Amino acid sequence: MNHYDIIIIGGGITGTAIAHECSKYQLTAALLERGTDIGIGATKGNGGVVHPGYDPTPGSLKAKINVRGANLYPQLARDLNFGIINPGIFVIGFSDADEAMLKHKLEFGIKNGVQDLAIIDASQMRNREPHLATAARHALYAPTATVVDPFEVAIAFAENAKANGVDILTSQPVTAIEKRADGSFLLNTPEQQFSCSYIVNAAGNHADEVARLAGIAEYQMKPRHGDLLVLDKDMVNKPQTVIFPCPGPDTKGIACIPTVHGNTIVGSTATMMDDKEAVNNYAPGVQALIDGVHKILPELDAGKIIRTFAGLRPVVLNNNNDFYIAESQTVKGFIHAAGIQSPGVASAPAIAEQVRDLLDNAGLEMVPKADYNPYREKPTDFDALSIAEQDALINHNPAYGRIVCRCETVTEGEIIAAIHGAIPARTLDAIKRRTRAGMGRCQSGFCQYKVIAILSHELGLPVSDICLEDRGSQLLCGAVKGGVK
Amino acid sequence: MKQLDYDIVVIGGGPAGMAAALKAKEKGATVAIIERNDELGGILNQCIHSGFGLSYFKQELTGPEYAELFINRVAAAGIDVYLNTMVIDLTPARQVKAMNEDGMLVLSAGAIVLAMGCRERTRGAIKIPGSRPAGVLTAGLAQRYVNIENRKPGERIVILGSGDIGLIMARRLTLEGMQVLGVYELMPYANGLYRNIKNCLDDFDIPLHLSTTVTNIIGYPHLEAVEVARVDENLAVIDETREVIACDTLLLSIGLIPENELSQKSGVSLNPRTNGPLVDEDLETDQPGIFACGNVLHVHDLVDNVTLEAEQAGDAAAAYALQQKTAAGVSETGSAENKATIMIGPGENVGYTVPAKMTVPSPKEIRILFRVRRPLEQAEVVIQAGTKILYQGKPRAFKSSVMEAVVLKPEEVNGLNGTEQTIIVSVREVK
Repeated sequence: MNHYDIIIIGGGITGTAIAHECSKYQLTAALLERGTDIGIGATKGNGGVVHPGYDPTPGSLKAKINVRGANLYPQLARDLNFGIINPGIFVIGFSDADEAMLKHKLEFGIKNGVQDLAIIDASQMRNREPHLATAARHALYAPTATVVDPFEVAIAFAENAKANGVDILTSQPVTAIEKRADGSFLLNTPEQQFSCSYIVNAAGNHADEVARLAGIAEYQMKPRHGDLLVLDKDMVNKPQTVIFPCPGPDTKGIACIPTVHGNTIVGSTATMMDDKEAVNNYAPGVQALIDGVHKILPELDAGKIIRTFAGLRPVVLNNNNDFYIAESQTVKGFIHAAGIQSPGVASAPAIAEQVRDLLDNAGLEMVPKADYNPYREKPTDFDALSIAEQDALINHNPAYGRIVCRCETVTEGEIIAAIHGAIPARTLDAIKRRTRAGMGRCQSGFCQYKVIAILSHELGLPVSDICLEDRGSQLLCGAVKGGVK
Repeated sequence: MKQLDYDIVVIGGGPAGMAAALKAKEKGATVAIIERNDELGGILNQCIHSGFGLSYFKQELTGPEYAELFINRVAAAGIDVYLNTMVIDLTPARQVKAMNEDGMLVLSAGAIVLAMGCRERTRGAIKIPGSRPAGVLTAGLAQRYVNIENRKPGERIVILGSGDIGLIMARRLTLEGMQVLGVYELMPYANGLYRNIKNCLDDFDIPLHLSTTVTNIIGYPHLEAVEVARVDENLAVIDETREVIACDTLLLSIGLIPENELSQKSGVSLNPRTNGPLVDEDLETDQPGIFACGNVLHVHDLVDNVTLEAEQAGDAAAAYALQQKTAAGVSETGSAENKATIMIGPGENVGYTVPAKMTVPSPKEIRILFRVRRPLEQAEVVIQAGTKILYQGKPRAFKSSVMEAVVLKPEEVNGLNGTEQTIIVSVREVK
């Protein structure tokens, strides 16, 4: 049985950021993810905005962590080579009441330490976004705001953590936790047993269930559901800025978000739910998104929607919508990183620092590693190379000369590299997240069979075993009557 | 990196690309076909059912047989074929950037023929609510799995949409032992050809549910059921008709979209009604020397029509390229003097027209293709410019699944000018 100083439960952006932080120190750590890949819970179900931090109430844990996390992103993006864009945010107002709200946000933002915030007028807004609704009168402008691809960030954190010695283990749902007399923990998964001195609970929507395995009943969780839409890259009059309406009490409102890859995301709705597994789209929510975005950008072409998706933000109940980041009140050595609802993406790097400090306070000696490597190499992106570089790459490896996904120009070479990467892609969606194969306008109609064949060949598995995402999501069943020719 | 020169580069080696290339070659041009797959034929290769070639070859062929006849002709004609080669960029100056296992290729062309075909609309386009499990796929992908990969997508199948591919697959999956529970169509009429309803559904007792759609996708990680419901005349769901049907596969046959990403890179303007390029009577786009034909131009129901259209594009592309060559150094050919562009567009009950414009005076006949928006029991085609009626057809039935064609003679259009500069194609109901 493997013993680690730390076991992190949950491989979303929070857990992987914590793994990345832990990998800087002389200690042993593992991350256990229940799913077949990392970043497939709340991490893949949001709009990717790195909120700068004008929303949280000054003085709250969320305010401090949000602003710190957002400020860490530009350097992290350089070191870990993930995509980041800096579109800034408009929060737009239509009325005097809205203007009062924007001034209130401005004040929050200044108190929280957000840089360069300003209230701008209609003409300044339209200079940047000429297709904004004519009724929009003023906006809070946050020019420093960035957007990332949250699962790319989680993969980058995990890959770098692994390169620096953290074990990243997928398909390892924790089924039992025992606190032993010597203070250490014993963890069971269906196939393995682990022991550790400290547990970090970053289990997203399931953090309360994981805590309960250790006999902790400090909080209850429910998901806040959101529908989201993805629009085609070739949409005309794409917004250059993240555009929010004035917020409501539990939500930042339905926004239009330029993505790192040139698509536009519209999201999201916000509805408290009971079912933690139902990551569904709901017809009224999808309609609310279309209606909502048309209030901001009346000309936006809803015919350019290529996909709907949904996310469940983990909410700790009766916690003032704040994060729950603390050592357990009852079980020593058990650290919660729970209730990481919005702005979880922005906050992840700072949550990791906070958890590091909690581990330190709990008695784990944090000695920096002399040989820590902060850099992660970017996977080859064929589409982004010059023609001479593309030619050289193909001459070096002909697999880069075979296009698999025509919509996003993804080559077989990139897919094979993802399958054999540091955090291996073993499913269709894992390949999609790493390479964008299947992410485009045909939604894998043309490339799915090719990706299945490559996965089958590279993993040595029968075609009928290849899954979309989770266990049980096989894409094909048996052969036709005459067998496979 | 290879640099190559051709009079004509045809992008796409399906039925449109092959027919265009053959015609251009016949006119004396040097021709290359660039095909992304490992063989010519395009989507015909997975259409193993029969019904192809009835008008062009006067015999009933399967898709692969129809393709083979053209593949053999291409091989005999001395056309350069680049297989497993993907075009990734096209400039207005007709430079083609492509790639294959041997590296990058840059081809310069006197004229380009766009023949990239179309793709299927997906679940996202119609925003079906519910979970996102394995087991939801387009009908064309299912056809690929069954006919080429020899794999079954599932055992209990529901089909949404009555497009031709969905109908063909209903029969195909039944023959392979899968259970097709029904075909559901949002509209009050079927979208596929009548013969496919008859031969693929009726003959196999597969129910077709009109004015009914899928309202929820149920099950995760694999599809377990769909919820269907009837819709009213405004296409609004009638709540009390909701019904859950257990199934493991949902096939979508909900329409095709011309694939014009490459066209747009070259600056070609699209017709919002077809999602294909705006073309004139020679099938030339608004980028000089770039022509389009087949499903990249507008979605066809019969390959025979694709072949005819592609021959026209190949002919015009060759004329353009060869004329440019001989006219090199001389002033621009085809003086615009005394010529006028007349727009052609859809009127009552018509979805679109191809072409969308023409030049007059015209030395030759002009063939206008169009589709009606909805089935009409008794109606007549009326083509007019201003108050002048250029063509009036006999009353008959029209179906949106069938492409219509009307040929106008030069003398019927050459008098047009000034105030009458739009030709409108209407199909008027006759009581």
